Amino acid sequence: MGGSDGDPVVGGSRPDTAETVVFNRVVPRRHPGRWVAVAIILVLAAQAIQGVTTNPNFHWDTYAEYVFSPFVLRGVGWTLILTVVAMAVAIPLAMLLVVMRESGNPILRSASWLWVWFFRGTPVYTQLAFWGLFAVLFPRIALTVPFGPELLSLDSRWIVTPAVAAIVGLSFNESAYLAEIFRAGFRAIDRGQTEAAQSIGMSKGKIWTRILIPQAMRTIIPPTGNETIGMLKMTSLVLAVPFTLDLMFATNAIANRTYLPVPLLLVAATWYLAITSVLMVGQYYLERYYGRGHDDVVVKGGPH
Amino acid sequence: MGGAGTGRAVELRGVHKFYGPFHALRGVDLAIGKGEVCVAIGPSGSGKSTLLRCINQLEVVSAGRVYLGGELQGYREVGECLHQLSPRQIAAQRRRTGMVFQRFNLFPHMTALQNVIEGPVHVKGLRKREARERGRALLARVGLDGLGDRYPNQLSGGQQQRVAIARALAMEPEVMLFDEPTSALDPELVGEVLDVIKDLARSGMTMMLVTHEIGFAREVGDDVVFMDNGMVVERGKPQDMFAGAREARTQAFLSKVL
Repeated sequence: MGGSDGDPVVGGSRPDTAETVVFNRVVPRRHPGRWVAVAIILVLAAQAIQGVTTNPNFHWDTYAEYVFSPFVLRGVGWTLILTVVAMAVAIPLAMLLVVMRESGNPILRSASWLWVWFFRGTPVYTQLAFWGLFAVLFPRIALTVPFGPELLSLDSRWIVTPAVAAIVGLSFNESAYLAEIFRAGFRAIDRGQTEAAQSIGMSKGKIWTRILIPQAMRTIIPPTGNETIGMLKMTSLVLAVPFTLDLMFATNAIANRTYLPVPLLLVAATWYLAITSVLMVGQYYLERYYGRGHDDVVVKGGPH
Repeated sequence: MGGAGTGRAVELRGVHKFYGPFHALRGVDLAIGKGEVCVAIGPSGSGKSTLLRCINQLEVVSAGRVYLGGELQGYREVGECLHQLSPRQIAAQRRRTGMVFQRFNLFPHMTALQNVIEGPVHVKGLRKREARERGRALLARVGLDGLGDRYPNQLSGGQQQRVAIARALAMEPEVMLFDEPTSALDPELVGEVLDVIKDLARSGMTMMLVTHEIGFAREVGDDVVFMDNGMVVERGKPQDMFAGAREARTQAFLSKVL
């Protein structure tokens, strides 16, 4: 205690060493409110669990019967494929749209704007239905000189299969949303970064790949993770194509046969939740990697 | 080639710059000889930074010409007309200058050493091992031996600015441009950056420096240029100008800052 002998404390410090420092004896604050809250939540949770698990209307036996059935597992596989491939197509497409949008070329800028305007402005369900009808609308895909001779012609049915139509529909729609997310990410980077890169003589392409994209990633990843999870569930709309192998279609088909929709909805929900959890783990590591230099984590093996 | 001056590292002729209706530079003529250190001073908004940015083409001049080492910047002169160079050619021209910014502009996702070797490796195509060796030597030269693995946010402002100087030097520029290199620094960190710049001046590097540090301008400058309202009002040796400026506007400015 500073002034135990009555002297006012004057500026300056005493040469205490680590051993002689007398630490303050602090009694931690009590938090009775927290314990009340915990008790209330535990009671509510127990009631909810009881209400769901012991309720015969949930048909847990049917749930157990189908949750690992090959038919459902195949649906899980296709839903995963659709999600991953659609995002894998949408992300580079969105990147291209942003580079076009930020370019000096007015034609490229307008084309990018129009793409986003169209695919964001129309319902994805409608888009999927149109891609499904592609082979009807354009029976043959041909490579021709405009108004001139035909060079190569193929039957649309062999190219725009339902799987292709589903992936094209989902990814084109998604690219429009991602383009806006990416654009916001790039806009958030200080202009000084581009100027510094220019001042050491970097070309435009190098500035994008070495300076802007790695920095934008940090802000882009969380909303892109969101979009990926959204995409996982958006795949259930592919019945508009119609594409009939995804998880939602599979569980619906079983439900229609057994007249038990609830346990099959639970089966689907379980799998969506499981996949989402796995995706979140991936997002965590991506965020950590691209947070280097900002968050105080040490990441080994960053690009030199 | 356009009858450029001989032996001049930097030459500006009749340079004007407009931002919309705003006339930021009003016919600037300026030449800096090889190995010279030219310090630009003047009130804020007088066009000092704009001038600097015109030299390395971060800004495109509205009228007039900029020459580096006798080479016209940004254009090829064909008769009466100027033909725009390609982005690639402009990027190549920028390599003749190194620039140090007020707010450092280090790449935050790269360590100090990665910042320094980025240009040599990804612009010049130097092998990484060689670039690292040189990068470490450069960091040692600016007094940052052993700090190459730190990210910019783990360095003080003065250290960051010294990394930025090393990054610019790594491209082996003919001319170094400093845009208020100490304005964003805490007062006690200014000295370490100025020391590095002084060192560089002594080594014979051609430099143009925009600064508010009048004492430093006097010490390091071969020539001082006073700018006001987009024009070069006066140019002279520092000892002469600070002892007694010719122009009333220079006198008024100096009376406020000296």
